[in-house]
Amino acid sequence: MLFLNPLLLWFLAAASVPVIIHLLNRRRHKTIQWAAMQFLLKATRESRGKKKLRHILILACRALGIAALVFAAARPIVSGLIGWGGGSIDTVVLLLDRSASMESKPGDGLNSRRQIVIEKVRDAMTNLGSPRLVLIDSASKKPQEVPSPETLTELSATAATDTAADFPTLLNRAAEFLMETSGRSEIWLASDLQSSNWHPDDERWATARASLATLPQKPAIRVLSLTGSSAPNINIRLLSARRTGDEVVLDLEILRAEESRGTAIVPLTTHLNGTRTTESLSIPAQSLRFQKRITIAPDSVTGYGWLTIPADGNPSDNAAFFAYGPALPIKSVVVAPAGEAADYLTLAAAPPGFGNQSVCRIDPGQVSTLVTGDIASIIWAAPIPTGPAYEAMSRFLTSGGHILFLPPGIPSDNSFADLKWSDPTEAPAGKFFILKDWNHSDGPLRDGIDGTPISAERLRAIRRQTPLGDATPLARWEDEEPFITRRIVDHGTAWFMGTTPDYAWSNLGDADVLLPTIQRIIAAGADRFDASYLTTVGSDATQLLAGETRTRLDDYGSPDAANTAYQSGIFRLGERLLAVNRPTLEDAPEILSRDSLDSALSGTGYTLLDQAGQANDPSLSRDVWRAFLIAVLFFFVSEAILCLPKKSHPQVLPAKVTV
Amino acid sequence: MSHTFIDQNLLSRLGLLPIESRVPMMGNVAGKHRSPHRGSSVEFAEYRKYVPGDDTRRLDWKAFARSDRFYIKEFEADTNLRAYFVVDASGSMNFTGKGEAKIQVARRIAASLAYLLVNQGDAAGLSICTDKLHLEVPPSRRAAHLERFFSTLGKIQPSGETGLLTALHTIAEKISQRAFVVILSDLFTDTAALGDALQHLRYRKHDISVFHLMDPLEIGFEFDRPHRFVDLEDGTSIVAEPNLIADEYKTALRDFLTSVRAKCHDASADYQLIPTDTPLEPLLREFLTARLPKSKH
Repeated sequence: MLFLNPLLLWFLAAASVPVIIHLLNRRRHKTIQWAAMQFLLKATRESRGKKKLRHILILACRALGIAALVFAAARPIVSGLIGWGGGSIDTVVLLLDRSASMESKPGDGLNSRRQIVIEKVRDAMTNLGSPRLVLIDSASKKPQEVPSPETLTELSATAATDTAADFPTLLNRAAEFLMETSGRSEIWLASDLQSSNWHPDDERWATARASLATLPQKPAIRVLSLTGSSAPNINIRLLSARRTGDEVVLDLEILRAEESRGTAIVPLTTHLNGTRTTESLSIPAQSLRFQKRITIAPDSVTGYGWLTIPADGNPSDNAAFFAYGPALPIKSVVVAPAGEAADYLTLAAAPPGFGNQSVCRIDPGQVSTLVTGDIASIIWAAPIPTGPAYEAMSRFLTSGGHILFLPPGIPSDNSFADLKWSDPTEAPAGKFFILKDWNHSDGPLRDGIDGTPISAERLRAIRRQTPLGDATPLARWEDEEPFITRRIVDHGTAWFMGTTPDYAWSNLGDADVLLPTIQRIIAAGADRFDASYLTTVGSDATQLLAGETRTRLDDYGSPDAANTAYQSGIFRLGERLLAVNRPTLEDAPEILSRDSLDSALSGTGYTLLDQAGQANDPSLSRDVWRAFLIAVLFFFVSEAILCLPKKSHPQVLPAKVTV
Repeated sequence: MSHTFIDQNLLSRLGLLPIESRVPMMGNVAGKHRSPHRGSSVEFAEYRKYVPGDDTRRLDWKAFARSDRFYIKEFEADTNLRAYFVVDASGSMNFTGKGEAKIQVARRIAASLAYLLVNQGDAAGLSICTDKLHLEVPPSRRAAHLERFFSTLGKIQPSGETGLLTALHTIAEKISQRAFVVILSDLFTDTAALGDALQHLRYRKHDISVFHLMDPLEIGFEFDRPHRFVDLEDGTSIVAEPNLIADEYKTALRDFLTSVRAKCHDASADYQLIPTDTPLEPLLREFLTARLPKSKH
């Protein structure tokens, strides 16, 4: 509870006046000589109990009535947000989550969580007497003075965006701002507590807490939790898009809420270069991953399009945008000495029928002369490079290329990206190295887009070399030794696979494992050519370069000119064509746990206001002086009733005095 | 008679009203009150059969003529009345609230009635009682006796606890002949014991009148602030909030008055509750009128 006129609370001492008067009256009694003492003693004995309680109630009613009157005069504001802290607030710093997930509508309302919380903050600020309000929104991350709470709903800085939020940064910004602010301040964090926006394990929380602790006047922190049930929602997202000849291949995913049951029929509308087609998708479970091939005109050099599903509980996740450029051949290089392994590898890199793929084999010694600018991936089945070859491969890696290393077959201490091979080992006689488990959702052995798993269990190896070093294992042998590991270096990726397609090593050449692995690594390497057309909101690619202007090309939704940089869509930035989608993590339903929130804001004494996002909760705060006035009336009327004499007084004098 | 409690005007106005006894009295001289014995008054009492030895002058010859039997005609005997005024001199009688002090009202009533009694030829005696003192003025018909009566009344200094019950029992035992016992007290004593004392008097065939003296403040118990109440009899004190206990006080007082009235009724005693602010003349006039035989009303 907060009071707009807190100084009036000093008058609460007046509540003790009835008690003091009572005590003074008792002390200032008059002495009287009395004869009828026997009745007095009897009356005193009998009046203890109910009478005394009545008298105490009368006194309590008087004291509470005065206290309620003082409270009413002090203009109390009550809410779960403000709690029971006293005193007025000078500055409120509002950290507003404008991420895409904030556009979801709660199950009991028509407005989005962002709109609801803005209106509640506006009302709360008005009730608090309109203290200074500073807005730091998650999109711009810049402090912005709000002249009046009434304008909150009109500001472009509170409008919807397709960005992600970063609360450690926002809190640090708030702490920096408050360094130069005096008076009592509060920080209000309005968020749906989406875990991906809070980064609870991020070290920047410690910095933010330390910054807050050093402030001259520690601000109160209120978390306006906008969790709770949401309206039914389906979202669509683009996993990847690439051009293959006269087709654009889109990997798409449609997600439904976890509690969804049964099969849903969703109309999917495709917009491509001004044309529009609609088809129905049957979604049998919570998610559906599928590949969509869109045929484009052979003479189309560049283009763009988007796919949409009908409006639902969150309008910001109903579209996926893509763009494409000229068709480029996918080139790869096999660096290996001639032999069986090299043959299998070149075959897997450019199988017959894959017309746009080409591969060439070179010896390790020729690497220094290799031009890697248009190469998607390199398959390295030779000793780890050193010297100029090492430099060339490092450059290729940092520019976004993918290199797959296979065992050289000889012991070596050379390393690449801090990874190296162990000595070759052989399986015991009559036994094989067999894969035990592999990552089904990530890496080259992931399940197909339709969920079909790779038959990696068919791999049998009699010889292997184990990748050593700090890398992510994606597949393991039965003895837990890694088979495939991955290390990301800058924009590129180094892959290590522990056996070769040579009959003296394994049956890797049977293609159950080799073909999908090689193809996926090459596709990943080629993505960087198509990726120049795809990006996410807030990424570096969306930043304007010198001389560039931003022009939105699509007409999806209702574009906001003031927030173009924070919205998804098809944009032309100077000469660049960009399909900008919302960050993938915005679709993640994971909510920050209370423990994680406690951990992130430990020591700040924060207050969590649950249900702030519920539409049926009218306000974060209310002016409740009327309630106190009613309480005043109640107490004084109660006091009057208690003071009323009894209807029937004992008749003392007999009707007739003479017997 | 220069006593403050004697109002000559009042006495002169009340002088025409006789004080009658409700029961036959047994005086030692002729008077105006009925006696249980037959005598020579003009009031016919009854006939009875002649027995040898009776005074033949009292034979009713007319009855003999009618019935041929001898009857003796008997008449009522008139005698005088002896009154005992029992005045409670306990400390509580000293209480002065909204009216006069109870002891002063007792003095006025006792003096007035004693004057009227002596004036009509009856005897008046006084008994003053506390827990430590039992002072008596024997009844006498002489006018000069009144001065002693009044003087003793005037000297009463109420103090200590009440000795009323003891005094009543003593009087009941001590007075062999029927008498008129007038009790003037606030009766702040045990009502059961009071009932016993009244029954004792009743057993002795005394005519009893109780003047129950109470101050209006004791009856109404109207205070506007806390008070320390100091007992007039034993000096103990208690601080109380009268507003809080008024109802209980009045209930206790009502029970007490009801009980006292019932005890008086059981003992066939006249009971008068006298608030001390009541004017004395109408009070005494009503008292005296109520005692008149119905034929004299």
